Amino acid sequence: MRSANLWGLLFMGLLIAPAYGLDEATVQLVARDGKFFPAELVAPQGRKIRIEISNEGKDPVEFESMELRKEKVLAPNSKSVVVIVPQQPGSYKFFDEFHPRTGQGVLVVK
Amino acid sequence: MQGQVLFIVWRESVEALLVVGIIAAWLRAHPEAATGRKFLWAGIATGLLAAFGLGAAILGLSEYFEGDQQDYFQLTMVSLAAVLMVQMVFWMRKHGRTLKRDMENGLASHTSQANWWGMLVLVAVAIAREGSETVVFLYGLGLSQQGEHLVSFLLSALSGFGLAFATFGLLQLGGRVFSWRAFFKFTEILLLLLAGAMWVSAVEKLIALGWLPPLLDPVWNSSALLDDSGTVGSLVASLTGYRAHPAFTMVLTFALYWLGIVYGLKKASAVSRPVA
Repeated sequence: MRSANLWGLLFMGLLIAPAYGLDEATVQLVARDGKFFPAELVAPQGRKIRIEISNEGKDPVEFESMELRKEKVLAPNSKSVVVIVPQQPGSYKFFDEFHPRTGQGVLVVK
Repeated sequence: MQGQVLFIVWRESVEALLVVGIIAAWLRAHPEAATGRKFLWAGIATGLLAAFGLGAAILGLSEYFEGDQQDYFQLTMVSLAAVLMVQMVFWMRKHGRTLKRDMENGLASHTSQANWWGMLVLVAVAIAREGSETVVFLYGLGLSQQGEHLVSFLLSALSGFGLAFATFGLLQLGGRVFSWRAFFKFTEILLLLLAGAMWVSAVEKLIALGWLPPLLDPVWNSSALLDDSGTVGSLVASLTGYRAHPAFTMVLTFALYWLGIVYGLKKASAVSRPVA
């Protein structure tokens, strides 16, 4: 990554989350045909967690988590990012509100 | 799958229908507020346009929505709706009995005009908020269905809307069957609960964006009792502000909101008593 980008990111981070001067941990999540891959995400504790979601299916998706306090609607073939501020260790459920029966997943912070 | 479509459509429209349905019932019981009815229709039309616009933007400009933009939109809309909803409930309560007389005396025109604009925005925001998600949901799913599936998909989407309108009809019927006073007391509580849920949701988004500290997080875990990720639990959550893992800031918001409401209602009835 070019240093200008890095500085840009750092600056954004300072603007958005002044209280949390923490490193980011990035995890990838793919939504396809009403399911999440992988259904279990693992992230380290004590860092900002950046979940990069891409909807590779033909259906729209609504990533939602009551425990992580996030909801995000994704059109088919689109990407989005959800950033979560540090949490206590534990498992945090998330689901796809448009496919509530099949679209289930969990983020494990440890 | 298709039953799911029906439920999701109903669930996404029930909040807006509660707001529109209760206001419509109020306006029906107050024929002197004819101006309000025009504003209600204008609010519905604006809300539908905004829902389609926002839905189309999420579908067409998905790159723009990669970051926190959706959160900002939702945060703005939910806070605006929460404020206007409380304002509307207090206005309806205050003017319920005196509006007719005030209109006749030419007293009400100015204040009601301002209130009708607030109502228009409230109705529009309530429809646009969840409506935009319904647009994305139906459009995307509709595209991926073909032939026979498409027909059953359309049917269940329509039944979802039908169910939502039945809910609306039930509210209108309630306004006629029960005594107006009882009906208004009940729907007033529904609207205040909904507004409280919106406050909680706004604060929740502020915490998620890192703009407010959660303080103690979570204060409790009641997901074994009622899971807010489940079908019933999430409906209860969006209509009352219930959370299975609330942060202390959210509990505080909820408590302060209801303290404020109870105080406001007491004050309002103390003022209106000598008049009535």
